[in-house]
Amino acid sequence: MARLMDLGMDRLRNLLLEMGQLSQQTVVTAIEAYHVGKNHQDVNRWSNKLKQLDDQVSELSIELIARFQPVASDLRYIKACMEISYGFYRYGRYAHDIMEVLDTFGDLTKCDHAVVESASGTTKQMIELSVEAFAKKDVELAKKITGMDDYVDDAYRDYISKLMKSKHVDLRCALSQTLILRYLERIADHAVYIGRSVIFIVKGEEPAFEERS
Amino acid sequence: MNVEKEEATSMTEQGGEQARTEEFMTNMAESMDGAPKLRTVDLVAFFGKNEALHGINLAIRPNKVTAIIGPSGCGKSTFIRCLNRMHELTPGAKATGQVLLDGENIYAPKTDPVLIRRRIGMVFQKPNPFPTMDIYDNVAAGLKLTGMKKGKNLDDVVKNSLQQASLWDEVKDDLHKPGTSISGGQQQRLCIARTIAMRPEVILMDEPCSALDPIATSKVEELMVQLKGTYTVVVVTHNMQQAARVADYTAFFYLGKLIETGPTASLFENPKEELTERYLTGRFG
Repeated sequence: MARLMDLGMDRLRNLLLEMGQLSQQTVVTAIEAYHVGKNHQDVNRWSNKLKQLDDQVSELSIELIARFQPVASDLRYIKACMEISYGFYRYGRYAHDIMEVLDTFGDLTKCDHAVVESASGTTKQMIELSVEAFAKKDVELAKKITGMDDYVDDAYRDYISKLMKSKHVDLRCALSQTLILRYLERIADHAVYIGRSVIFIVKGEEPAFEERS
Repeated sequence: MNVEKEEATSMTEQGGEQARTEEFMTNMAESMDGAPKLRTVDLVAFFGKNEALHGINLAIRPNKVTAIIGPSGCGKSTFIRCLNRMHELTPGAKATGQVLLDGENIYAPKTDPVLIRRRIGMVFQKPNPFPTMDIYDNVAAGLKLTGMKKGKNLDDVVKNSLQQASLWDEVKDDLHKPGTSISGGQQQRLCIARTIAMRPEVILMDEPCSALDPIATSKVEELMVQLKGTYTVVVVTHNMQQAARVADYTAFFYLGKLIETGPTASLFENPKEELTERYLTGRFG
């Protein structure tokens, strides 16, 4: 027999799955918009929708805690869902920020997109893995995300380092790419946090943070 | 035996092993932090030929609240009744193994069970003030039996016990009203005061709030936490949230076995045994 709380837990999971799918779509659309040089109005709408869904997850989580006083795996699941929800919301918010870059700097199609393209490819994979790891409660998928984070971090740092050494830069391209790489780096960090939350759901404890060499 | 019980038997064997390992580790820690107030060693309890507890090894830390949780019939009340030799008062009941109070076996042949029950008091599920006595005498009754005469000393003990039970302010002007004239929650605190008056070292509580409303429950729970400053408290409860609120350590019993024990926060957040997880999350049956 299903527990009364399971109705709420199922709803929580469905909200998260909806957020995962929407946040993925939002970031992918924003990156494509950057590459084609045209703003995509839906990104802002979806980003706002993700905020509303994050609020719903918080409210439902608090309600479940207040009404059912969950413990053990139930409590861990709710705690992790709140964190994952925030991660999905942040994906959407950074996608929104990428659109702001387009609004601020105008047409960027003449800039070299190679670094952003490469970093965004990895970031999109990390987002996809985070959504799938949550949906399947798959620790192995979650662990893969952490391993990919360094690539996006390095892309951002290396780009800045290269800029510092350059004597002649196109300021518009340099600033816009720095910002976008920074947003991708933050999205990748949130993917890592989501992966850690998935591991917490399954194993009951989060893995230790690995120091970068 | 149903599937769940069979599974439980197998799991309790594993769980018992782990519990023993944790117990060992707990004991290692205690060797640095101080000895347990109470410790059971291979405690087995019988009702006639029926074995109700199957070799319990558990350390109760001094000046802490330890909660015993588990489903009906798991042996938790039997367990605490063994801790002050009340179990043997039931016809046909007996216990084997050891219960060490400050390292001394309370089941040793020359030990007087009456003296043990003075050192280890008990509060029961249903408030049970003596119906023919007033509030004052309910607290003083045990002391009078030990020969203490009426007078300032007795008055002081009664007042102090009622204060420790957080009841003094509510009854100080009504000490000669019948003990049964106050509310259920007050009656339970009166029983706690009666236990405290005997200056025990350990207070056992068997479902002390099950007959109380939420406000009275809250007062008794606050009291439990206050009392651990002076006494070692062991509470049996069906209410898992109560254990989560008041206990420093929690032990989970199932089918007469200790499945898991540990600090309350870790047991409720991340139990190590699947059986504990299923019980806490209501996935039994």
